[in-house]
Amino acid sequence: MGDFLGQYGFLIVTMVQAGLLGLSLYFPLQAGQLSLASPGFYAVGGYVAAILLTNPAFAGWRDALGNGMFPLTWLAAALICGVLGLIVGVPALRLRGIYLALATIAFIEILRVISLNLSITGGAIGIFGIPQAFGFQDRWQYIWLFGPLLILTLLFARQLERSRVGRAFRAIREDELAADAMGVPPTHYKVLAFVIGAVLAGLVGAMSAPFLNTWNAKQGTFDASIAILAFVLIGGSRNIWGPVVGGALLTAVPELLRFLADWRLVINGLVLVVASLYLPQGIVGALGGVRRPPPPRRPPSVPVVVEAPGGGS
Amino acid sequence: MTAVTTERGTVERGTVLEARGLTRRFGGLVAVNDVSFDVREGEIFGLIGPNGAGKTTLFNLMTGLTPPSSGTLAYRGQKVTGLAPHRIAALGISRTFQNIRLFRALSALENVKIAQHVRTRAGLWAGVFGTSRAEERRVEDQAWALLDLVGLADRAGESAGNFSYGDQRRLEIARALATEPRVLLLDEPAAGMNTAEKGQLTAFIREVRARFDLTVLVIEHHVPLVMDLCDRVAVLNFGQLIAVGDPAAVQRDPKVIEAYLGGE
Repeated sequence: MGDFLGQYGFLIVTMVQAGLLGLSLYFPLQAGQLSLASPGFYAVGGYVAAILLTNPAFAGWRDALGNGMFPLTWLAAALICGVLGLIVGVPALRLRGIYLALATIAFIEILRVISLNLSITGGAIGIFGIPQAFGFQDRWQYIWLFGPLLILTLLFARQLERSRVGRAFRAIREDELAADAMGVPPTHYKVLAFVIGAVLAGLVGAMSAPFLNTWNAKQGTFDASIAILAFVLIGGSRNIWGPVVGGALLTAVPELLRFLADWRLVINGLVLVVASLYLPQGIVGALGGVRRPPPPRRPPSVPVVVEAPGGGS
Repeated sequence: MTAVTTERGTVERGTVLEARGLTRRFGGLVAVNDVSFDVREGEIFGLIGPNGAGKTTLFNLMTGLTPPSSGTLAYRGQKVTGLAPHRIAALGISRTFQNIRLFRALSALENVKIAQHVRTRAGLWAGVFGTSRAEERRVEDQAWALLDLVGLADRAGESAGNFSYGDQRRLEIARALATEPRVLLLDEPAAGMNTAEKGQLTAFIREVRARFDLTVLVIEHHVPLVMDLCDRVAVLNFGQLIAVGDPAAVQRDPKVIEAYLGGE
């Protein structure tokens, strides 16, 4: 067990982390919004945690709170990313489709340049020597942070899907104009979906800063946007398990193929091409196609209404 | 106040909708030109006219999907032009679409559940923590009852996009009714229906009006259906209102005959 965790623990935690980042993109996608902003909020969340955990200005807080400082960094990151998501989301979500995607890429670039030039973010060097969360001795122990976050996020997503708000998201994804005409305010729910994604990405960032020990402007770049988008597309964008499976798989494959040396990126690329050609619904979508969900069951309490003249065929 | 005859007998009722000078220009084209009319509570008001006369544009102005270039529409004395579509839906004006705009990938049941949005309240956390169960139950029951009404309850789980044209039109009516409207706008409800279905449609629209106490506006090309169904008819031609009145009188109006058959 110890050997296994020593060898693969870091990879397993990274797989879970990738799944979470995939989910942060999945929420806006539920409302039909292709946002690539997740790495930006991930970076901001990480910087918030890194600053709170290393900056001398907060030394007093750290002494007073001890390990309580870590949950505080999560809370702060979630809050700041939520507000930032709101500020960015309201104007950006006036754009649709590919234009929204481009605007969110611009947002990431702006954040990157800002973090390169501010002294509080450590400039180009970034922030290093971030203390390990709760005095963890081994990297695999971060599964105790990312694991519960993944479970809670999946529960959240499942409950959301079955609720009034989840229905509103789907209505906007299917036909924004018809949703509006049927009483669903599109802007409200598009921004809400965007902010949920931002908060999740910020939380993952805040947990990742101690995990990676250093944090700099290389976190959350355009490359990461495309990688996270691939998690969702390969895994499947219509099911909560899609981003999780996609994230885990695309993180694991390059590592497991390491023995192939130079060939591994070729194989990895091949997996991407084959998956997008033959599994347009994603891996989970393809599996789900075999097992259809059961038809909705009429609740027993409904009185039988006499069929209207226009009914039947 | 005007006397309106419904299944419940003749009652005194007021004006529900007042259009005043509604105009919409698209570039150089005046799609709707200075249109004014009143719709009385409880009536079935027909909107006819040749293709491209501006009927659907008029519906779009009334439901907020297209803002008017000028003019106003008032609902029970309240100005609705300028409001977002979802606000107009919340006030009680709902519609179907000529080019059917169901949520195609979603089930029939879900289509109807979605449209109850404005009549329900559950927010993000109520949904996530499951504290809105009673409301969800109500939404579910209501959706089934509406699917029953349009005869689609046994296909509740099927994707809306798989339904036949006629069934999609019926599902759109069920979805529009789910918003609990007071005014229902039907854009060519008989299009794509076969003769038997068209025959049933008149009785169905009357039944829906009576059961939900609605005022109904209907755009329709099928003239026998319009004459049979509507209490009053308005005729649009090149964006202008050329006649309003009871169906028989409008049918005899020389301006209307000219619009349909061409002048000399």
